[in-house]
Amino acid sequence: MTGISRRRFALLTGAAGATPFALAQGQGITAEAVIQRIQGALGGDWSGVPDGLKAGDASTVVRGIATTAMATLDVLKQAAAANMNLVLTCEPTFYGRGDGQAPAAVAAGRGRGAPGGVEQTDPVFLAKKEFIEKNNLVVFRLHDHWLARKENDMVAGLADSLGWSKYAVKGDDALFEIPAASAEATVAQIKTKMNLRGGLRAVGDKKAMVRRVLLFTGSMTPATMWKRYAETDMFVGGEVREWENTHYAADMFTAGEKRALVTVGRVVSQEPGMRLCAAWVKTVVREVPAKWIGAGDPYWRPA
Amino acid sequence: MTAREVVDLMKKTSNGNWSPQSTRDTFKVGNPDTEVKGIATTMMATFDMIQRAHAAGLNMVVTHEDTYWNDRDDTKDLTENTLYKRKTDFIEKNGMVIFRDHDHMHSMKPDFTVLGTLKAIGIKAGDEATMRPPIYTIPETTFAEFAARVKRMTGSRALRCAGDPNAKISRILIGPGYATPRMTPEADVVIGGEQQEADGVFDNIEYVMDAASLGQTGPRKAKCVIMLGHVISEQPGMEDMAAWLRTFLPPEIPIKFVLAEEPFW
Repeated sequence: MTGISRRRFALLTGAAGATPFALAQGQGITAEAVIQRIQGALGGDWSGVPDGLKAGDASTVVRGIATTAMATLDVLKQAAAANMNLVLTCEPTFYGRGDGQAPAAVAAGRGRGAPGGVEQTDPVFLAKKEFIEKNNLVVFRLHDHWLARKENDMVAGLADSLGWSKYAVKGDDALFEIPAASAEATVAQIKTKMNLRGGLRAVGDKKAMVRRVLLFTGSMTPATMWKRYAETDMFVGGEVREWENTHYAADMFTAGEKRALVTVGRVVSQEPGMRLCAAWVKTVVREVPAKWIGAGDPYWRPA
Repeated sequence: MTAREVVDLMKKTSNGNWSPQSTRDTFKVGNPDTEVKGIATTMMATFDMIQRAHAAGLNMVVTHEDTYWNDRDDTKDLTENTLYKRKTDFIEKNGMVIFRDHDHMHSMKPDFTVLGTLKAIGIKAGDEATMRPPIYTIPETTFAEFAARVKRMTGSRALRCAGDPNAKISRILIGPGYATPRMTPEADVVIGGEQQEADGVFDNIEYVMDAASLGQTGPRKAKCVIMLGHVISEQPGMEDMAAWLRTFLPPEIPIKFVLAEEPFW
């Protein structure tokens, strides 16, 4: 066992020195074996990342694999019903980067004194954990290493969902040249294609003629905005900070620039990439089925 | 009176709630020694807002948020940016000067950004309305009804809700801007400006989705979130900021609240 694989194993089980390769005798492949295979295929160092086992027993025999942008309780219920007992989630399961750790173990909010972490007696937290245990689910966070993959399936997935894959300008860039339509019409198209409820927000010029679109998933930094907004008609992505990128898009509109910035929500933007993740997992783990389960648009708008 | 003298008076009147170390509460652009013809208070010094302040003859802007699209108003990567040049040129050519008052406002008791939004949605509050206010109790109603009321009263176009619309709610916890409070056992509804949706310090959105999935909709069990948008969540407080400045600045200097437009369609 090499240093890296020992560390990897310790991460998985929380018990350094236990016996590796816990393939249950003749009963199929364990969660641990599936995860080791995924880790091996993606490569890299798995210490010091948010990726890892978040709930359940790694020695559980896997009947099916579900991928999702966020392992909400609804997603877990659907996974259990579909007999998919290993869940790979892009975002945390237990309400924040601490992913279930007690408040003392998690850094507080940026100078606001807001505590992070989850009280271990919290009823929603306990009910979710209980659901996972009762249904023998195993939840593994697959974030940094999935996003770091050089084939950027997060953006490819988003483009595919929007029906824009064939309009890619360059293979390795997130820029697309789509058939021209107004920003307003393009937004309507995005809402329909991604089955959105109330999470999409748009800023900029409604009447702008949109051809060149830059896609991003998750959140975007101001630096990218400043650098690339002027060469596009529209940005479509997950989330931005409103006092930074939204403010910039609003000022560009005031300056007469015919462009728009559209955010669909962080989780929603990651759904299509996690759908492609299920397809990729199938190429690495052939013994069991894999499928994507959508967390859906969390938001609605009042009357 | 110069802009610098205005700020000196603000500091003097701040009752110790002024941090000299703040990187936010500084002059951002324009000459601090400019003679002040009028003061505009605003939630955010957008290009649009600056143009309207100028048209109204107000050459000093006291803004709660940034001018140059990043929290530190760091401009070192913007020197070649066309929009940066246009905005800066407009401010300088028109003899305007921009000062940010952020950290000071959030250490005031009450914090006008919190007090103003509470007032806007019909909740009476006093000095306890700080950056970390207590929970306010309203007559029980459904989340859908309350959210519709908040939307109407704040005038927000892009307000977003998460949680069960049929949940019975009465206990409201509010926070301004990016300081959206974390959900607590004592609150039914958290109201904030904006927040990273997931992978943050505490992910309210996933929490309220799970609470709804558990069927937690009855009284004292409901968990819901309203995201007002950053601008809307701190806007009303800037009217109180204008009123505060009037209490100690010479009466011949006009001081007006100038709205920052909600950016979303």
